[in-house]
Amino acid sequence: MDFPTTEGRSIRAVDRVSIQLEPGETLGVVGESGCGKSTLARAVLQLIRPTSGSVQLRGEELTLLKGRELRNLRQKMQMVFQDPRGCLDPRMTVGTLLMEPLKVHGLDDASNRKRRAHEMLERIGLDSRFMSRRPSDMSGGQQQRVAIGRALITNPELVICDEPVSALDVSIQAQVINLLVELQKDLGVSLLFIAHDLAVVRHISHRVAVMYLGRVVEEGTTDQLFAEPRHPYTQGLIASIPQADSGARQQLREAERLAAGDLPSLLDPPSGCPYHTRCAYVEETCRTQVPQLREVGTGIQKVACDRWDQI
Amino acid sequence: MTSPLLEVKDLHTEFRTKDGRVRAVNSVSFKLEHGEAVGFVGESGSGKSVTALSILRLFGPFTDAHIRGQVLYEGRDLLNLGAKEMRGIRGREIGMVFQDPLTSLNPLMPVGQQVAECIQLHESVGKEVANRRAVELLELVGIPDPKNRCEDLPHSFSGGMRQRIMIAIAVASKPRLLIADEPTTALDVTVQAQILLLLNDLQRELGMALIMISHDFGVIAATCDRVNVMYAGRIVEHAFTEELFRSANHPYTEGLLKLVPSLEQQKGEQLVPITGQPPDAFELLPGCSFAPRCPHVAQICRETQPQSNVLSPSHGSACWLSAERGGSV
Repeated sequence: MDFPTTEGRSIRAVDRVSIQLEPGETLGVVGESGCGKSTLARAVLQLIRPTSGSVQLRGEELTLLKGRELRNLRQKMQMVFQDPRGCLDPRMTVGTLLMEPLKVHGLDDASNRKRRAHEMLERIGLDSRFMSRRPSDMSGGQQQRVAIGRALITNPELVICDEPVSALDVSIQAQVINLLVELQKDLGVSLLFIAHDLAVVRHISHRVAVMYLGRVVEEGTTDQLFAEPRHPYTQGLIASIPQADSGARQQLREAERLAAGDLPSLLDPPSGCPYHTRCAYVEETCRTQVPQLREVGTGIQKVACDRWDQI
Repeated sequence: MTSPLLEVKDLHTEFRTKDGRVRAVNSVSFKLEHGEAVGFVGESGSGKSVTALSILRLFGPFTDAHIRGQVLYEGRDLLNLGAKEMRGIRGREIGMVFQDPLTSLNPLMPVGQQVAECIQLHESVGKEVANRRAVELLELVGIPDPKNRCEDLPHSFSGGMRQRIMIAIAVASKPRLLIADEPTTALDVTVQAQILLLLNDLQRELGMALIMISHDFGVIAATCDRVNVMYAGRIVEHAFTEELFRSANHPYTEGLLKLVPSLEQQKGEQLVPITGQPPDAFELLPGCSFAPRCPHVAQICRETQPQSNVLSPSHGSACWLSAERGGSV
């Protein structure tokens, strides 16, 4: 995925990323700002068209779809954004907001739409009095519940959540995460869950992909990845989260060693391994050779580091 | 022992708005010794930032803020100082670092000059000396190649580097107290780790006291010796950081510690959310502010405000049930 810049150069926000998502599975995508996780989400939904590559939903190629075909497809793929206020029309009531996606896609008649909105309201944990409320009368957590309800009401196969709890207070975050886990179990929908918060991603995902400067550097089941992170970046990322215990300082020292310095600019990406400028284990070859994502161990875990078995 | 560096007694801060009075801070008292790091943790609206701003009386002219109580800094009550004396405290004696460095830095002035300006503001030194000291300070906070980079404008630095520059400005006058209000919330985690370590190191090297404000217990654990947990404008629990993690007493603290997904937790375990909504700052409940959300609520909680119960010389919890609950976690 390339973006032109005003200076006539281009930024490659996502670089040769391949991911797969099974029905009913949650794939977490985690990384720091600028790693390309949100661009990836938008490219999957065709909200922006990838420069090259392929996106398929149940075998159907999406990058070739246009107009009506693409709109129809959006019933099957929905998105939940970070800030619910930005995507809920302040003049609409919750009832109208929940029915709107059904109306847009011409699903059901008016009375059935109303029934489905009521059902969804219950599923997202709000009582029926909320039907006539407007977003401004609701807290951030309640608004996000409505945004989730809107995404799920067309019975999509895939829901992409881009930092859905980052804007919420911690006590509300837990409520929304629990809701997402529950809905995913009940409805069997696949989730592509994008977040910078490793702990949240770990809690919700079956599998996790770690992105750095537009590439997936490590991928595996959640248990594997957190028990045995192989890529130095993943190791640094995990160590960087201060734990609420007495070892926190020690742990941050380790994090500083594993992930030194700052993120490089995408306008001037490093040669070779994108992580070599910050890596504690860097060697000469890392500066010139781009490591490929390779299977390690049992094969489910993949790492883009040529030296993973030596570190 | 000598007198504490800072002692806040019965601090109340309210804002008069057209919609009514907002009681942001309700009777907050705490002490801070020389060189000590204390954390304030709580959710948005709990009053932790307003407590910090009240210490420095840093409210804009259009904010109708009313502060009551005492803020004793080395025995002097900052709330009684005149505007000019207060300017001698702010920045010089007590430095402050905010969440978003970009709004605090002048976008049109080279960063070195911004640091030098602060040095000259607080000390009568010449421009050359100030510039040289600015470069030293930038080096101290970990800006690579500070001699050349001090000519650059803020926009050419990353978020983490800008926060380092803000920290350089805050410690330029060797303050005895640094207040850091969510200094790493806008930063990526790997950069957050570096900034927290920097604050830790500077605190030790310069012998500063530190007030760290954060919603993240992990951040507090990494930087603070003691911690105050705030809810609805009150300190509901205070303890040594390790003591709190080992034996949290207040149901709110317990809830906060349980609901955050941690990397140590078993996966698939349900998060235990605190039910209900944070309280409305317009309306002060007669009893405990946490009562409507508390799983252990009793009749007395709804009627009378609990005082802080002493559980150990360093540990207090404002809960009617604190004695029975003990250190239960």
